[in-house]
Amino acid sequence: MEDTCYLAVREAENMGAEYAEAFMTENKGSEALIENNDLKQLKYHKSVGLGIRVFIGSSLGFSSINSSEREHIKDAAIKAIKLARISPADKYNSIPKNSKIESLEGIYDKNAESFTLHDATKMASDMLDAAKSFDDRVSVDSGNFTNSVTTHVLLNSTGMRAEETVTSFYWSIMGMAIDDKEVSNFDFRFGGTHHVKDIDVFSTGREFAKTVVNSLGPRKIESFRGKLLLTPTAATDLIQDVIAYSINSSMVQKGASKFGGKVGKYVSSDLLTLEDDATDINSLGASSFDREGVPHRRNIIIENGILTRFIYNTYTANKDNVESSGNAGGSPKMPPIVSATNIIIKPGKLKLEDLISGIDRGIIVNRFSGNVNPANGDFSGVVKGGHYIKKGNNEYPVKEVMVAGNIFDALYDLVGISKERKVLADSILPYMLFDNISFTAG
Amino acid sequence: MTSSLIIDDLRSVISKSKGVKYVETRYHSRIANEVIFSNGELEMIRTVQNSGCGIRVLVDGCWGFSSTNVLSKMTLVDSLSEAIAAAKLLAETKKKKVTGLAQSNDIKGLFKTKVNGDLHSVDIEQKVKIAKEAEIQARKYSETIKSASCIYHEILDHKIIVNSDGVEVEVYDSKPEFNVVSVACRGSESVTTSEGIGVTGGWHDLFSKKDPFDYAILASEKATKLLDARHVTGEKTTIILDPGMVGLICHEAIGHMVEADFVISGSVAKGKVGQKIASELITLVDSGQSNIAANAAGTIAIDDEGIIAGRIVIIENGILKSFLHNRETALIFDTMPTGNARAFEYNDEPLIRMRNTFIEPRNDNLDDIIKETKYGYLIKGPRSGQADANGEFMFGSQEAYSIQNGEVKELMKGTSISGNAFDVLESVDMVGNDFEYDIGTGYCGKFQPAKVDGGGPHIRCTALLGGLQ
Repeated sequence: MEDTCYLAVREAENMGAEYAEAFMTENKGSEALIENNDLKQLKYHKSVGLGIRVFIGSSLGFSSINSSEREHIKDAAIKAIKLARISPADKYNSIPKNSKIESLEGIYDKNAESFTLHDATKMASDMLDAAKSFDDRVSVDSGNFTNSVTTHVLLNSTGMRAEETVTSFYWSIMGMAIDDKEVSNFDFRFGGTHHVKDIDVFSTGREFAKTVVNSLGPRKIESFRGKLLLTPTAATDLIQDVIAYSINSSMVQKGASKFGGKVGKYVSSDLLTLEDDATDINSLGASSFDREGVPHRRNIIIENGILTRFIYNTYTANKDNVESSGNAGGSPKMPPIVSATNIIIKPGKLKLEDLISGIDRGIIVNRFSGNVNPANGDFSGVVKGGHYIKKGNNEYPVKEVMVAGNIFDALYDLVGISKERKVLADSILPYMLFDNISFTAG
Repeated sequence: MTSSLIIDDLRSVISKSKGVKYVETRYHSRIANEVIFSNGELEMIRTVQNSGCGIRVLVDGCWGFSSTNVLSKMTLVDSLSEAIAAAKLLAETKKKKVTGLAQSNDIKGLFKTKVNGDLHSVDIEQKVKIAKEAEIQARKYSETIKSASCIYHEILDHKIIVNSDGVEVEVYDSKPEFNVVSVACRGSESVTTSEGIGVTGGWHDLFSKKDPFDYAILASEKATKLLDARHVTGEKTTIILDPGMVGLICHEAIGHMVEADFVISGSVAKGKVGQKIASELITLVDSGQSNIAANAAGTIAIDDEGIIAGRIVIIENGILKSFLHNRETALIFDTMPTGNARAFEYNDEPLIRMRNTFIEPRNDNLDDIIKETKYGYLIKGPRSGQADANGEFMFGSQEAYSIQNGEVKELMKGTSISGNAFDVLESVDMVGNDFEYDIGTGYCGKFQPAKVDGGGPHIRCTALLGGLQ
């Protein structure tokens, strides 16, 4: 891989690139797919991607291929150069400083190298059994178990050379509960880890099964304004994605983020402390360096409700005259963009059961099916797997309830965070309780 | 590598697959080019070429799949061996074996999308220029437009599919799209809107309905107007859906529920073929062709199992007629495959996916539909949507115009719409005589993306509007 990257940089330089960067990813592994309460298909996957970024003056060109063949690399370099020659100059285009990269421990497991398709099949089968054996009304529509060994190599004209191999396991399960003619809401659960010993498909299967069975027998309710308790899975769409968008310096610089101009100010109630941390090895977004070779680090973004900083790649950092925060992201199919790594919310002081017992009138939302506008924070959608809470008691599941409001307003009405947290694919999130939310009944 | 050499190699793989019930080889080369301008700056310019071959086998009643990005006789045979080994391994565990595949005609030949303005012949300079100028137009529209972006994206596909049931086809496809996003701001208020188009066809097909700058002006005009708009009050009410919203309801509320793999897993459409599930005014179709209007983005000539992608009537005059099938589910349901097996890239296996999904037009004109509505909303501009196993769907809109006593009144901010698919389609009491495809810039997600389209005439129905209390 290093030879391929070296060749790509050299070809681009020979054709006139003043700066060239080659980023290559090689991924191999296997996947067991689940469909209709049974295993569906087994699959070997292996892929290669090579992205070549060039600057001529301050104009950008980029080309990507999935090949290591010399003639393909040459052709890709020609295309990148061609694009750079027609791109407008942009003074903020530049290369990152050549920094020393400390290797992050705990994201590679040598046991993953000998993890076979047979092992993946067993894991998928075990997850299916965990869900089905919980209750015979559980129906699994689909799911998967994937194991991967991924190597990233980055080389550029400055002599920078970075290489890392990451192992990962990811699993998911989706479906519903069926009781005679009643079909519950659809729901899903997923999990992931870097280590064979930490694979826990049983808990994921059980939690999924429990959620869909508990959503059977829903009742209609009256429209009201009250409390919303978001589960960690539901918080990925409504909270994680909106905050990841709003702290992205690219969005801030476009004037498209509500957090623009708010560093040092409250953006939520003082209960919220949130960080972007690619060095947290519990989540799958962990690695030693970013898409441009800048070392990853822990960035505290919101501390006790106060916005402390944004996340940057080299380009957006140049615009704001600051240093990159190590948030250049993206695959070899695209030039580096700004992206969050692992979004981690600090646990609260109350147990989940205490959060629930403090709710006078509200709804627990297991999944949100709707639209969220990350620019202005408006959201509206359907409550899935929802439960009606009255005077601290979980009364019954609900149906045909829509929830609407504004995320940025809701953050100031964040009144509770649980001690319990869930490690999701690229986040660690607690249960979050919001006040003053509109629920519309069908 | 020429097409004839690739075909020879794929044939050779098939010939080496002794003892395998079915083997399918699919060479797929994709070029994707993209230009994004944002606030006067080039945000993205890239060209991506991915090619390789996916091999799927059916052995001992089980599916195995493998793929390679290196096209040589040796790597192809290695991939075949991996796919066979995977299928045999699955046979040790799988409970319900695949009993077989519905019959396929041994289709042979070349299928080439008809284009007006070959995308290869339009210089990248021109694509950059149009994206750059459209973004400038969007910001120039009004001082309230604080941010804009314009995306030009094109996909050019070349596929060769050879399978052990005699299919031997070569496919060339071309799908460009163009989208402008405008953000209007005043004080702490901001509104994001988009206008765009995605087609199957060429450069002139992409801009046959509107000039590129018209999309920029429409997006900014909409954002500016919506800045002062109020939120709707959440309620169950009469709504008139525009063609784009009808496309979304076809896709989200019905389309997913009738995908046969989802039906087998327990969707509420199970067992309902032959039953009345919608108003008799509803005839709903999923088609690989671009029926009624040209250049729909989800158009495919042939699916990835080598089945001609024809016009499938899902609901006819309110009666459920057909599910969407691949060859495996078609055999289970004792029917013909419908040409819905689609794979996104070479290393994806074919899944049951929609193509162009729409409601056929009837007799009412839009003015009459509005005139005959005492109270309700005209809902325009599709956003994303989702379906659920129990028939409950959700999709978002950009604009909601209130209607009172037969007249369009106040423009209000868009919202999400929800309901039970059968109840909402049963409530349809007026169907327009117009027709448009309008969700062609979107992708459907089901483990892999798929380019789809949808549309119809304006229709009137009853559903739940999400809003504030």
